[in-house]
Amino acid sequence: MTRNRTRLAVMTTALVLLVTGCGSTGNPVDPAPIGAADGPFPAHVGGADAAGADPTPDTCNTKSLPPTNGTSIPSGSNMDKIKQRGKLVVGVDQTTFLFGFRNPTTGDLEGFDIDMAKQIAIALFGTAENRIQFKAIPSSRREAVLQNREVDIVVRTYTVNCARLQKIGFSSVYYVAHQRVLVSKNSPYKGLEDLGGKKVCATSTSTSLKKIATANPKPIPVSVDNWSDCLVMLQQGQVDAVSTDDVILNGMAAQDPTTQIVGEPLTDENYGIGIPKENEDMVRFVNAVLENVRGGVWKQSYNKWLASRLGDANPPPAQYR
Amino acid sequence: MTSTATRPETPGGAPGAPAGPPARPGSESRSGLAGLLDLPAQAVRSVMRSTRSTPGRLTLIAILIVVLSLVTGLVAVFMAQDKKGTINDLIDHREPLAAASQEVYRSLSDADATAASAFLSTGTEPPELRTRYQVDIARAGAALSKAASDSAGAADASSKVDVLTQQLPVYTGLVETARVNNRFGYPVGASYLREASELMRSKLLPASQELYRIDTDRLEAEQDDATGFPWLTTLLVLALIAALVVTQRYLTRRTNRLLNVGLVTATGAVVLMLLWGAVALIVQGILVGDGKEGGTHQVDVLVRARITALQARADETLTLVARGDGSAYEKDFGGLAVQLAGQDHNGGLLAEARGLVSGQSSEQNVQAATQAAGAWLNAHAAVRQLDDSGDYDSAVKTAIDSKTPDASAAAFLRLDDNLEKSINVGRQNFLDDTRGADRVLILLAPGVAVLAIIAAGGATMGIRERLREYR
Repeated sequence: MTRNRTRLAVMTTALVLLVTGCGSTGNPVDPAPIGAADGPFPAHVGGADAAGADPTPDTCNTKSLPPTNGTSIPSGSNMDKIKQRGKLVVGVDQTTFLFGFRNPTTGDLEGFDIDMAKQIAIALFGTAENRIQFKAIPSSRREAVLQNREVDIVVRTYTVNCARLQKIGFSSVYYVAHQRVLVSKNSPYKGLEDLGGKKVCATSTSTSLKKIATANPKPIPVSVDNWSDCLVMLQQGQVDAVSTDDVILNGMAAQDPTTQIVGEPLTDENYGIGIPKENEDMVRFVNAVLENVRGGVWKQSYNKWLASRLGDANPPPAQYR
Repeated sequence: MTSTATRPETPGGAPGAPAGPPARPGSESRSGLAGLLDLPAQAVRSVMRSTRSTPGRLTLIAILIVVLSLVTGLVAVFMAQDKKGTINDLIDHREPLAAASQEVYRSLSDADATAASAFLSTGTEPPELRTRYQVDIARAGAALSKAASDSAGAADASSKVDVLTQQLPVYTGLVETARVNNRFGYPVGASYLREASELMRSKLLPASQELYRIDTDRLEAEQDDATGFPWLTTLLVLALIAALVVTQRYLTRRTNRLLNVGLVTATGAVVLMLLWGAVALIVQGILVGDGKEGGTHQVDVLVRARITALQARADETLTLVARGDGSAYEKDFGGLAVQLAGQDHNGGLLAEARGLVSGQSSEQNVQAATQAAGAWLNAHAAVRQLDDSGDYDSAVKTAIDSKTPDASAAAFLRLDDNLEKSINVGRQNFLDDTRGADRVLILLAPGVAVLAIIAAGGATMGIRERLREYR
């Protein structure tokens, strides 16, 4: 009798302990409480430029100054100063494949823009060998390096426009590009009009970024330092498209076969060589060099870098005031 | 007699049963619980009663001294063990951990600089740079797992370790992407390298710098802890000595006998305990302090100098990678150079380190490092001169050529090498001093235990001898 009661008590206690124990086990600990991982970003990623609406009307005269003395170098001229110095300082891009890029195998800068810069050095010194100091600059600093006289000329997919003409001078147009859109081959987008609310990349202060910011329906503009950074972001899935001039997009498509250029040409981008505003003699000199380039070197360089993807083309005719 | 009604007997005066609560008489008249609660009161009452007679008082004194001796001995043993434990922890955990986080910080900075250098060299990537980068990443990983093994206690440290363990694989992925594109001849490789460097500088290096600071602070805090003054033990020992002295004076007055062998032995044991403990702890404190000043502090200054140099080296090469667009890197280099060697190439962290190691075996290394830093900064000025004047190819050659002794790369490697050697000397100093402190304490705990037992035994014997005279 007593033993049975004891056994009952023990069993009841055990049951109570078991029940209360089961009720409060909690959840297993999550050893890695991470839902999403932040991918890496290129340096200085931003949005649209802060400047807002461009105050300069696009109705100015964008024609350049005509050559007067051919490629002769009068003493005391700005060309003479460069010649005395022994080096032509050129602001270029080193990240735009086929237009202005560093060849990783040789370490040399190459491309269509680089060929143009070399022609100007040849006109000054008779040879480009060891006569050019290239400075790689981000597109956002193109006006600044000319205004601060850090470089003599800028040859860097540089579109002639009225806002820029207020600060610097331009040569005649040596190439006409068209803004288009680069997307992944497996994406549904067929042009900028499909990209409303989507992220579209361009370099800061470029005309392409303005075009993206003012497109309808409105995409989300994403700005970076260099064009290659846009390709990085497209490959990392951080933007849906890159929109800029076809020659730049062409260089990206050449580096990544899973991308393609789509859409109608959105703009005409007239590339000129940037020169400090006061150096009018230099503008005329460069225009004289470009006259010669249009005669033969232009076609050679185009065929070397661009023709295989962009098809046959001829140099744009020069227009002077 | 003023005994209570429940306690008809008065055992306090009986010499045969002097100690403790007497047998419990009459407890049947109370309920169990109330009787239990009444026990302490009864004990106090019986003790109070017993102090009214000399033998009772002596017995009480004997009990107090024995208890005090044993408690003091116990506390002192724990204190000595605790000190020894702290010192062993310094040697086995804290210092290796600080060294591990230092290695994470260093190898990541070196990887950043090396990846940029490898990128600068054209054509086939130089195998020695590739090997150096791989060793850096492997060492960073190994040191990181060591640093992670003990970050659980410190929330700050574990959040830094989290950032590092999550971002390090991302960083190496970017460097490899850059490398593959580079080999294809695609300029997007340069953009991936810049992105990798940005990740390194915005996330990995700040986190590893913080981790290093946290672990060094923890090391120094524990060194302070190891040299802390044992207040409780000291008070107990002094109280015990006072009790023994007072007891002996009381006995002398009562019995007109000058010396009591048992009590004198007990006093001697406790005084020996005090002297031994004091000497051991003072020597230990000095050694641990030496390990902190001559070891940890010195290593900290040298490590900061070394990492500053590494980051400046990364700036130097990245300025060239950016080719004209690197003014931000060059500005950063200028700031780091001043931190490293001062405005005149003769100050900064290197001068601080020279002050700390003067007279030691690493003095030569730090002197050599200072000279190498001077040569490097001069070579850097030459690199900038070449690059700014348009001779980019010669600038790159001067910057990455490790054969010409006074060219940038060679001078930097010499600086790095000498700093590494002096850091190892500093770590050895720490280890020697702290190990010495550990040896000083080896016998203290058992010694104190034995002395406390001798004190307790001596006091018991001494007082029992006197008590016998009352029989």
